[in-house]
Amino acid sequence: MGQKRRGGWWPALCIGLTGTILLIYVLLAASNWIYLGWHDTLYFFSKSRMWERLWLTVWTATVSTCLSLVIGIPAGYALSRFKFPCRYLFASIIDLPIVVSPAVVGAFLFGITTRFPFDWVSEHYDIYIGRNVYGVLLVQFTVTVAFCTRLMKASFDMIPTRFEAVSNTLGASPFRTFFKVVLPMAKNGIIASMIVVWARAAAEWEGLMLFVGATEGKTDIMPFAIYLDWNGGMMGWVTSMSIVCMLMAVSAISAMKIIGGKSNVW
Amino acid sequence: MSGKIKGRRQFNAFFYSFAGFLFLYSAYLFLSNLDQVFVTEAAVKTREVTGWGEDGEILNQFAGGFWKDVYFWKSLNLTLIITVLTTLIATVAGVPAAYALSRYSIPGKSVIDVLFSSLMVMPGSVIGICLIVMFNYGPLWDLQNMLGFKFAHSIFPGMLIASLVLSFAFGMSAWKATFDSINPRFEQVARTLGSNRWQAFRTVTFPLAKTGIVTGIILAWTRAMAEFSAVLFFCGTFGELPASRFSDFTKFLQMDQADWLSVAVWAQVEFGNIEYGFALAFVLVFIGGISVYIMHRIGAKGYVW
Repeated sequence: MGQKRRGGWWPALCIGLTGTILLIYVLLAASNWIYLGWHDTLYFFSKSRMWERLWLTVWTATVSTCLSLVIGIPAGYALSRFKFPCRYLFASIIDLPIVVSPAVVGAFLFGITTRFPFDWVSEHYDIYIGRNVYGVLLVQFTVTVAFCTRLMKASFDMIPTRFEAVSNTLGASPFRTFFKVVLPMAKNGIIASMIVVWARAAAEWEGLMLFVGATEGKTDIMPFAIYLDWNGGMMGWVTSMSIVCMLMAVSAISAMKIIGGKSNVW
Repeated sequence: MSGKIKGRRQFNAFFYSFAGFLFLYSAYLFLSNLDQVFVTEAAVKTREVTGWGEDGEILNQFAGGFWKDVYFWKSLNLTLIITVLTTLIATVAGVPAAYALSRYSIPGKSVIDVLFSSLMVMPGSVIGICLIVMFNYGPLWDLQNMLGFKFAHSIFPGMLIASLVLSFAFGMSAWKATFDSINPRFEQVARTLGSNRWQAFRTVTFPLAKTGIVTGIILAWTRAMAEFSAVLFFCGTFGELPASRFSDFTKFLQMDQADWLSVAVWAQVEFGNIEYGFALAFVLVFIGGISVYIMHRIGAKGYVW
């Protein structure tokens, strides 16, 4: 009995630590609201500049999410199912854009846009990928496609391979198996991943700093606009926009949880 | 029969092509800039745009050979020391917290889960602004005035705090997933056999969770290495500050007048030392690549479903 009482410090420590840490994070999240106050929040939310930036963020994130889903779903399936030599090496290189600092991704994109495919495209067609909204899309695509592949691989890993094997033995072609068996089973996982990928695309800004730069009303998506207005000393704009970003992130994650995702990236 | 094999081959080729495209894109993105690192002194000197300071002063300081520069080694040292300390704190505080969130009934668990999960899609600039607003206004600001030192724009509490926010959250989510995957029944059996709660954790759950805990540590460390915005907002750059601004302790550890590595990449590219920035960036890519490779080998799986 005495031995049992001596072990009681462990749950107390665990719960106490959790409470402390939670308090710090809640304070962190609440600090913007406390700073700004209710009336100022309403004032900044009623400005059109806020909503223009939100719309820019939403549509660029949506476009880049669509692009990355087109590549991410098949690539995730390939990484999940096929066994080939050095697959950890390949998977690591595909994962690199989300593992290294996003500033590095921005610097490297800045480097490759003067090189082969990009200079050729801008020379022969009237498309310039750089300091405009295409640059924003490229940065978001580069980061989200790696993230998307990672999540899709995890979603497909959750499905037992037995169902595919049964479908194949019953005579269905591999493509038919993929569309009729694997995709319907992975549907919830794909939707949950899609929401997270969208939120991640809307949160990407560090690459823009080096690669795209800011043009008011053209490339200043919301997280980047926070940095710009902070440099300009406009704390009201900064805090109100960070509240909007927080709401976006929290609502995306809540939607994902309602669908039933478990949300452990890595 | 041969038609089936052909169909399978087409199927594999279709999926391999997407993965291959992605691999080639990523490899091209990260390797094509490698020539920038080997720029010689002569090439830098003959470059047309070198700077636009007052009376023709050359702003571009880099003249090839980043490894000869003390700023490079100091930045690397600073980043390694701070990330290791961050990981240590995150592990010591995070493993018990993850265990509590996984095992004990805590009110509002789903809200806590959403809070921590939303950190992984939170823009870094928001976290930086939250830190600035939290520490530079209100009661915490008064507390800092009372103590006589500031948290923001300092190496020791400042950078540690900024890198800890996300690294702790990521590590904790990994540890929580690990503890969730271990059946609590083993622990209950250990307790019926007479061990107390601490012994049950120490002798049963901990050995089972060892791989997951190591994965979480690597993840937290990688995340701390990749931290950019929170450090930029909360600490800024230190490279240009006078030596008197730094304490003897940081001078002893060779951490003064150096930047956080990923902030240094940004700062060098912005100041026009593009090759230097790329050299710093390749260090980050090397470190990140190794740690993600280890994570894949251990078998860490990320999932949202």
